[in-house]
Amino acid sequence: MMLRKLLGAKGYKAVKNGIWSNQPVFSMVLGICSALAVTNRVSNAIAMGAGVTFVLIATSLVISPLRALIPLRARIITYMITIASFVTIVDRFLKAFYPGISEAIGPYVGLIITNCIIMGRAEAFYIQNNISHSVLDALSNGIGYSYALISIAIVRELLGFGTLLGVRVMPTGWTNWVVMTLAPGAFFLLGIFLWVTRTAADIEPRARE
Amino acid sequence: MKERILMVVFVVILGSVLTSALVAVAYYTGPRIERNKVLKLKMSVLGALDISYTEDNVERQFSENVTMNEIKGTSFYVSQDGDIAFEIAGSGLWGPVSGVLALSSDLETIKGITIIHQEETPGLGGRIAERDYLGRFKGKKLAPELRILAPGKAGAQAGDNEVDGITGATLSSKAFERILNSESRKYIPLIEENKQ
Repeated sequence: MMLRKLLGAKGYKAVKNGIWSNQPVFSMVLGICSALAVTNRVSNAIAMGAGVTFVLIATSLVISPLRALIPLRARIITYMITIASFVTIVDRFLKAFYPGISEAIGPYVGLIITNCIIMGRAEAFYIQNNISHSVLDALSNGIGYSYALISIAIVRELLGFGTLLGVRVMPTGWTNWVVMTLAPGAFFLLGIFLWVTRTAADIEPRARE
Repeated sequence: MKERILMVVFVVILGSVLTSALVAVAYYTGPRIERNKVLKLKMSVLGALDISYTEDNVERQFSENVTMNEIKGTSFYVSQDGDIAFEIAGSGLWGPVSGVLALSSDLETIKGITIIHQEETPGLGGRIAERDYLGRFKGKKLAPELRILAPGKAGAQAGDNEVDGITGATLSSKAFERILNSESRKYIPLIEENKQ
């Protein structure tokens, strides 16, 4: 309740939507491609989550203040060039300061451009709302995306490599589940993740008419 | 009409602002990225020559143990034991593969291989970059030519020219075999010429 007072009704709703009730991965089922691809190790998931969160916030900081100026028909191209620029910045930053991670998640950094979460939030929220609400929305969607990736990555790295963030956790007799490091393991775990979280958040599939 | 012109003006202005931001970032990170590339090459050379290093002492180990020679525009890296390493590149199944191949001083026996870049299928062909797999090449002969066979078919002796491939990655293995053979045929004569 403190949080509600602090953020105002609208800000509170943006945070709650992003982190739980309208969470990008399990509720809107966006950003699945990267959730499958880079969750083999926790460090990759953290880097990807941070990258997407940064691009979300940076995009909201450009789109939201300009929302009155952006010509209606040039909306999408505005999102595209803004997102593409920030993604390139993230890519260069990782290459310069974290070459190991950059190599591990390589092409998927560039693919943040096509991550539907960012385009989706820009079109659904930043173009209609003021800066502070947009940044809150960006931050909470970023957190929502990141914890989805990190929780899948924790299970995959633990079972697939026997480590967490590269530190050996499993006992010495542990046999690595190779399937967890491959694509099928990602699909199984994402399925289980969606099942558990959607049940917990009480999201029903749309009833058939 | 006015609306359209405004639209173009808006996109051009936003594009220019963002592009200048990108130029600034590229200018700032460029030298660091170049340095990382050089460092990665040095690590690969040290790895192929079987010289141990940690991330902190790459530069020192490299300058103490490796001398660089240039023959006709190609760099060769010679260790204190006379082992010679050079960069190799070629196309794998899905994309370019590059790395470093090190030979013992007889120019026939493989000392070690490291992969710098590859785009093969993760978990299948991608395993050519794994240390465990590359370890199988140690001590194998490149003469008359190296052969990567179906898994389990390769001879077990150290001195032969056969290596096990990767299960489920026949085409990547074949591509890798082709790269190793053609690159060694290209560079070994250069080294021999230079010796005399």
